[in-house]
Amino acid sequence: MQAGLKNISIDSLFSPVTKRRSIFLVLVILLLVFFFLDLFLGSVTIKPADVLKALAGKADGTVDTIVMKFRLPKAITAILAGIALSLSGLQMQTIFRNPMAGPYVLGVSSGAGLGVALVILGSSAGIAPGSMLTSGNWILVTSACIGAGAVMMLIMFISARVRSIMTVLIIGMMLGSGISAIVSILQYFSNETMLKAYVVWTMGSLGNLSTGQLNVLSLSVGAGVVLSIISVKMLNALLIGENYASSSGLNVTSSRIVIFACTSILSGSVTAFCGPIAFIGIAVPHLVRNLLKTSDHRLLVPGTVFTGAIIMLVSDILSQLPGSENVLPVNSVTSLIGIPVVIWIILRNNRNSELF
Amino acid sequence: MISVSDEILSINSLVIGYNFRKRSVPLLPPVTASADKGELVALLGRNGIGKSTLLRSVTGLQKPLEGSVRINNEDALLFSRVKFARSVGYISTEIVKVSHMRVYDLVALGRFPYTDWIGRIDQKTDELIKGSIVKAGLADYNDRFISELSDGERQRAMIARVLAQDTDIMIMDEPLAFLDISGKYSIIRLMKELTAGGKTIIFSTHDFNIAVNHSDRIWLMNDHGLKEGAPEDLWLGNEFECLFDSEHTGFNPEDGSFLFGLPTRGKIFLEGGDGRLRYWTVKALKRAGFTITKKNDLPCKKLHVDNSGWIFSTGDTTKSYKTLYELVKQLKNQ
Repeated sequence: MQAGLKNISIDSLFSPVTKRRSIFLVLVILLLVFFFLDLFLGSVTIKPADVLKALAGKADGTVDTIVMKFRLPKAITAILAGIALSLSGLQMQTIFRNPMAGPYVLGVSSGAGLGVALVILGSSAGIAPGSMLTSGNWILVTSACIGAGAVMMLIMFISARVRSIMTVLIIGMMLGSGISAIVSILQYFSNETMLKAYVVWTMGSLGNLSTGQLNVLSLSVGAGVVLSIISVKMLNALLIGENYASSSGLNVTSSRIVIFACTSILSGSVTAFCGPIAFIGIAVPHLVRNLLKTSDHRLLVPGTVFTGAIIMLVSDILSQLPGSENVLPVNSVTSLIGIPVVIWIILRNNRNSELF
Repeated sequence: MISVSDEILSINSLVIGYNFRKRSVPLLPPVTASADKGELVALLGRNGIGKSTLLRSVTGLQKPLEGSVRINNEDALLFSRVKFARSVGYISTEIVKVSHMRVYDLVALGRFPYTDWIGRIDQKTDELIKGSIVKAGLADYNDRFISELSDGERQRAMIARVLAQDTDIMIMDEPLAFLDISGKYSIIRLMKELTAGGKTIIFSTHDFNIAVNHSDRIWLMNDHGLKEGAPEDLWLGNEFECLFDSEHTGFNPEDGSFLFGLPTRGKIFLEGGDGRLRYWTVKALKRAGFTITKKNDLPCKKLHVDNSGWIFSTGDTTKSYKTLYELVKQLKNQ
């Protein structure tokens, strides 16, 4: 009798396809809800109706400025950053076959940070400040992506030799520490203005992006998303390991180059403009896998795009402490959301030794 | 002689090994072997001799230092990755551990060399995938997560993946490792079914008994290269001695039973007993270190066996035993 009752579950009422469709529908709705909530809520109280008016271009001076110049760019940045970090985390977890991989934990964000430090702090030494305004954004993004890519290569090199997930993780942390040591040396030799600019950057922020920077970020993340979609089949094959992937017809070297480029662009560009944002990249892919109950990247990639954007919007809303004038660093919020997920993965892994 | 049309794989003077500091380090002298369509080929050899490396070379995962691999009479070393994947399927000893991956997803990866850029699965592909799962003996397992499978079921899922890959040749590196005895025999039965259906399977194993009793051909690797032939041909040529590195261990060249080279305890005359009872009694006596004589010319040691038990007599004393255990224990103490 009891067994009969147990069989009537949600699984038997809905086919997996219908279930997945409804999950994606819910994700789209949540994305819209939190996008507008992010626009409605802030340190200055503005009525939702006025926000909507401003979006339509029919609001007066201050409201228009707050919504169009501050809240809208910030919400868009949150969406872009959420997408980029989560996608890069998903790709890293698959390519390294490591459930704990993510741009922040493996030191890839630090690598991007070193690229940024070299540009910001280095520019105080030689490059004329004026040149930073025009081509500066692209220089910043490029050097951050190169920094991210370099760390990725190092981790790949190491993880090809070390099988243990935890060892790779510890080495990733060591790399991160080593890079911060180099950055400290750079800080020591740079001038005050640039030092301040760098320290502000390290705190991580979704605001403060100029229109030009937002354009650069959108293009980079767009390119990353396109590359992610292209690499879906490769990622699926790489799930079962390089030998099996290669024996089923994948050119491992070239697919690795594509995925590395994609991950470096995604994590590098966000880190360049928003600073190192912690734990989103590692946590979101796990949430999506458990939500969709699949390992197929044809579903995981779109799922990660939506979930990453939603989680980042929520983090941004929480960081503004709705109803107060104080603003928390977004990094603290993402850490508080992400760390429980990471601990849950470690505990689950200990229990049934699954890879990811 | 082997007719040319049946030969699906031939390895000619292949030198396996690796490159170290721009110098090539061969593992073995050149290796030559072949396999026909529909054959079950067992690869035997001691640990570390290079069985996995040879199999990886045949799969195209590792470049050989010299020599050639021909598949369907074409030079396989010139194959693209996709063409290789359409000719040879591969199962290594690596255990796939991926959370949230269903049997269907795993088997679908076998269609990699055939699907479009994003890996879309149309109805025909879907039927092929489901058919492969059924063929591998995993009907109704489509939606099971691979992390929940037993070792034997996971091996079947890996076989289903290679079946979906639709290759003439299947390479399996130790498919019987990790399996219990019933698991081993059910996998070897599946492999025999598949070869009867026209697949060529080459597998490495340390399970000597299974290899010599069930495969059509043996590739025997030793320090001088590779010997191939039917298991019985290799018995007749005393080739299996190379599997042992000690002069005290080896095979009895008469019947292929295993010898430890321990001192024998003498001869026993055995009388009575029907086939089954007699067979296991002989086994027990041999294990205890005795040889059996058929002539009653040694009246001092005589064993009579019938359904009521064993009666052992040495000249003046006679004692009966209810179990072989008691008998062997007593014989050893004498």
